[in-house]
Amino acid sequence: MTARSRSISAKLMWMNVVVSATVLVLATIAYFSYDLISFRQNLIRNLRTAAQIVGTNSVSALLFDDQQSAATTLEALRNSPDVLAATLVTNDGSTFAEYRRSPNVPAPPVRAMADGSIDEDWVDGSHVLLAHRIVFQGKPAGTVYIAAQLNETGQRARQYLAIACGVLLICMAAGLLISATARRLVARPMVELAETARRVSRERDYSVRAAPHPDKDEITVLVEAFNEMLVQIQERDTALNRGREQLEARVQERTAALRAANRELEAFSYTVAHDLRGPLDAVQGMVYILGGLDREKREGDRKEILEHLRQATRNMASLIDDLLNLSRASTTAVKMNRVDLTAIVTRIAEDLQRAEPDRRVEFMIAQLPAIEADEGLIRVALDNLLRNAWKYTSRHESACIEFGAISRRGETLYYVRDDGAGFDPKLGDQLFQPFHRLHSRSQFPGTGIGLATVQRILARHRGRIWAEGAVEKGATFWFTLKSEAETAAA
Amino acid sequence: MAIGTQRLRRGEGTVWGARLAWLLLYGLAAIGAFADGAEAQKPSRDDVEAAYLYNFGKFVRWPESAGHTPMLVCVLGQDSLGQTISKLVEGEQINGRPLVERNLNRPDGVGDCSILFIGSTERAHVVETLTATEGKPILTVGDAPDFLEQGGMIEFVQVEDHVRFSVNLDECTRHRVAVSSELLKVAVTIRGKRETGGVK
Repeated sequence: MTARSRSISAKLMWMNVVVSATVLVLATIAYFSYDLISFRQNLIRNLRTAAQIVGTNSVSALLFDDQQSAATTLEALRNSPDVLAATLVTNDGSTFAEYRRSPNVPAPPVRAMADGSIDEDWVDGSHVLLAHRIVFQGKPAGTVYIAAQLNETGQRARQYLAIACGVLLICMAAGLLISATARRLVARPMVELAETARRVSRERDYSVRAAPHPDKDEITVLVEAFNEMLVQIQERDTALNRGREQLEARVQERTAALRAANRELEAFSYTVAHDLRGPLDAVQGMVYILGGLDREKREGDRKEILEHLRQATRNMASLIDDLLNLSRASTTAVKMNRVDLTAIVTRIAEDLQRAEPDRRVEFMIAQLPAIEADEGLIRVALDNLLRNAWKYTSRHESACIEFGAISRRGETLYYVRDDGAGFDPKLGDQLFQPFHRLHSRSQFPGTGIGLATVQRILARHRGRIWAEGAVEKGATFWFTLKSEAETAAA
Repeated sequence: MAIGTQRLRRGEGTVWGARLAWLLLYGLAAIGAFADGAEAQKPSRDDVEAAYLYNFGKFVRWPESAGHTPMLVCVLGQDSLGQTISKLVEGEQINGRPLVERNLNRPDGVGDCSILFIGSTERAHVVETLTATEGKPILTVGDAPDFLEQGGMIEFVQVEDHVRFSVNLDECTRHRVAVSSELLKVAVTIRGKRETGGVK
C-alpha cells in the first residue's frame, strides 16, 4: 500500500477512534453522574433498612434495659460494609449501645430529631448520617444513629476511568479492524483512482481507465466521471493530433507552393530582365549605328533605323505598361461601381478597329445589364481579352469576335470567343501563367503577361477564368465575377 | 428472628476526611452530655419493675378467650409498685385493650388478671396464689429468688445494677401464655422448652 492509502486509512481509523472515544466519554460521564446520584440514594435507602431492622430487633433490649442484647443486635451491622458506626440512644438521650467497625472510628454524632419524624438523613463531609426513631406499639422506644462512608466518589471515578480506558483500547483495536475493512471498501478504490489520475498526469496516457467499483456509491460515480473525462480528453487529443497533422501537411503544401512561387518569381524577374534587355540591346545597337552613320548616308537608312528604334522602345513601353497593369491588378484597392460591360467592350472594339482599319473583323457584342465591379480593373481585363482575340485572329482574313454571357446554375458566365489560332487544350493551364506563351513572338507578338493580369483582376473580383479551345479552331475565354446576390449581400 | 443481613453496597470505606478530629470531639461531647443526664435521673427499682410489667404485656399473647376486655395488671402486695404502675398505665392501651392496675390483698382475686405480680412481701403466699392461677392464662411475675421453681413464669433478678428477668417457658406454655421470642432474647435464663423452634 502506498503512503496515500495509509493516510486515508489512518484518517478513517482516527475518525472511528475519536467518535467512539467521544461517545464513550459522554456515556461514562452520563452514567457516572447517574450512578453517583443513585449510589447516594441507594446508600441512604440501605441505611434506612438497616436502621429499621436494628431498631425492630433492639426494642426488647431497650424496653428491658439489656444493653448486651442491643450490642449484639448492633453487631449484626458488621455485615453491612458501608456502615462505619451506629449508636442506639434511649428516649432520654443517653447512649444505650454502640457499634464501631474499627476502634478508631468515632461514634455518629447524635442530633435531636424533629417531633414525629421517623427517619432523617444528612451528609456531613464524607459521611452519610441517618437517624431512625424506633417506634414500638405506637410509642418511641429509642433512636438509632448510623454513620456510613461516602468517600467512594473518587474511587468510583477511578474505576470508571479504568473501564473507559479499557473500552477505549478495545475501540482503537476495533477501529483498526474497521479501518482495514474501510480501506478495502473506501480507501482502496480512491487510492486506485488517485494512482490512475497520477499516471495520467505523469505519462499523458489517456488510454488508461480507472478500475470500475463493484458498489454503486459516490466512488463509482467518481470513477465513471473520471473515465468519461478520460474518454473525452482522449477524443480531443486525437482530434488535436489529427488537426496538427493536417496543419503540418498544409504547411508543407504551402511551403512547397511558396517555394514554387518563389522560383516562379525568380523566373519572372529573369524573364522581365531578359525581355527588357532585348529591346534595350536593340536600342543601343541602333543608337551606335546611328552615331557611326555618315552625314552622307542616305536619309532612307536613318529613317529605317529610327523606325527600328521606335519599335524597340514601343515594345519596352508595352512590356512595362503590362507589368504595371499586372502589379496594379494585384495591389490596387478594388472600388466597386456600377459598370456597363457592354459599353466598355464596344469602346475597346472601336479602338481596335480604328488602330487597324484594314482588318475585317466582325464584333458580336451582347447587351448586358450593368454589374458591380471596379471599372478600371475590369476595363484592363476586358481590354486584354479582346486584344488577345484581336491578335490571334490576325492571321485569318476575316474573323469574328464575340462577347456575351450565359446563365448556368444561378451563375453568370461571361465569354469572349474568337475563331482565331486557338491553342492546344493540353496546354490550357499554362495560358494564365506570366510569360508563358503558347506561340512564338514571331508568330504573335506579346509580353505573355496579359492573361495573367486578367486572371488576377478576376480573382480580386472573386471570380475565375478558364479557356476552351483547339488549334486553329479558335478560343473561348470564360469568366465569372462575383454574383449580383453576393454583391448585394456584401 | 435474625437481623437482616442484606449487603448494603460497596466495600467499606476507611478513608476519613479532614473533619475526623472535630467529628470525634463532637461525638465524645454528645456521649458525655447524655451520660451526665442519665446519672442525674437514675430510675428506682419500682419504676423499672413497673415499666417491665407494662412492657411484658407487649410481648405476650393471651388466648383469644381473653377478649377485648381491659387488661388487668394486678399487684399482690407492694402498694408502692401498684401506685407506680397505676400512674404508668393510665390511658395506655396494648393491642386495643386499655390497661387497668389493680391492687390485690388476697390471692383469691386473681381470676381476671392478665399479668399478676407477686411482690417479695407476699413470699409466703406465692404457692397459694399460683395455685389460684391454675388453668387460667395469667402471666405471673415475681421477684422472689425461687419464684420460677415454685411455678412462676417470670422472675426479676438483679444483675449488677440492672434489673433483669428469667423466664419459665414450661409454665407459660401450660397456661397458654405465648411469650415473644423478642422477650426471650433479653431474658437472663430460660427454663423449659420453647413451643416453636427456630427462634433464639
